[in-house]
Amino acid sequence: MTEHGGGSEFERARRAAEERALVDSAKRGSKAAFEALYHNHVGKVYGLCLRMTAHRATAEDCTQEAFIQAWRSLPSFESRSAFGTWLHRIAVNAVLAHGRRTRERLGSEGSAEDEAVALADPTVADDGTIVDLEAGIRRLPAGARQALVLVGLYGYSHEEAAGLLGIAVGTCKSQVHRARQLLGERLDASEVTQ
Amino acid sequence: MTADSKPRTAQARGLDAGLDALPRGIEPERDLWPSIEARLEPRGERAGRRWFWPAAAAVLLVAGSSLVTAVLLHRDEPLVARQQSANGPVSYAAAAFGPGQTLDPTYAAAREELARTLSARIDRLPPGARRKLEQNLAELRRASAEINAALELSPGDPLLEELLLSTYQEELAVLASVNQLTGGNGAGPIDATRMQL
Repeated sequence: MTEHGGGSEFERARRAAEERALVDSAKRGSKAAFEALYHNHVGKVYGLCLRMTAHRATAEDCTQEAFIQAWRSLPSFESRSAFGTWLHRIAVNAVLAHGRRTRERLGSEGSAEDEAVALADPTVADDGTIVDLEAGIRRLPAGARQALVLVGLYGYSHEEAAGLLGIAVGTCKSQVHRARQLLGERLDASEVTQ
Repeated sequence: MTADSKPRTAQARGLDAGLDALPRGIEPERDLWPSIEARLEPRGERAGRRWFWPAAAAVLLVAGSSLVTAVLLHRDEPLVARQQSANGPVSYAAAAFGPGQTLDPTYAAAREELARTLSARIDRLPPGARRKLEQNLAELRRASAEINAALELSPGDPLLEELLLSTYQEELAVLASVNQLTGGNGAGPIDATRMQL
């Protein structure tokens, strides 16, 4: 093992131990510890919510809901998985619950609304090709977008993503395939028009 | 490899590379912590999950329903008033759902009240009805334990929360129906008309 590798391993172990300590303190009621956990994880949670919802204000709501739900559920968190993994699952559930409430309120399937929102929201700033890809993801239909974000970006297996989204594994695979196909077409089209 | 599949593969590789290059984390444009902190209940003083408030309201609605009656009391069962069961009292404590701290206090109080009344009246049910009641409660107990275990792994899962809510409602519907069917105040005979619904 190189000195550098050992150093990073040591660093990872130190961060893991620090996180366990923060989780334990937050479980006992320390809001300061929970705030530290928030700062460590908010980027990934918000990124996940933003890409799944394609809407900044909704992503902020879902991020807040996820952390509040995590605080409530923390006493039952048994560290069988990493805190971050557990938190992401809560965030996905918050996004899905938000979508369901919106559909119930509007009495629609939601995809048309999602699409309109996505098109109207030019946020997620980045540069170069990333802008194109982020914009392409944002404009995908909700089902395809959520499956792609979970599987293609955040590393969930098709089985895990299907379970979270409440769809069949085959449906998840076809949604990811559809998302990739649409993204490919749209990115090609944008290259042609530029 | 065909001419068509070649660019597609290159495109797929390009897409994979693009996805890999995207940063997983995106910082929100405003600090969300103050809004989150304002909504964090102190440990030990939690008021219960929000979704148990509608549960309590729903229970009031189902309490008057005769839906569970058909399950509990079959038409062909002989009506035996005040027959003492040889099996002893039904255990209501065992029918408790989920971790106690997640129960809304209003909901918990309503459930306790129903369970207390039921305890005084259960021996007035026909043996068959009592057996069915015990089976129903045991089934609901098993279901709720499984759902709670799943919820610990996946907090906030909307489907699991819905299932748990439905299980709570069913339990209270069972308890409420027994109360209703056995006369309401605990002193009178079983209302045979209502039992045969």
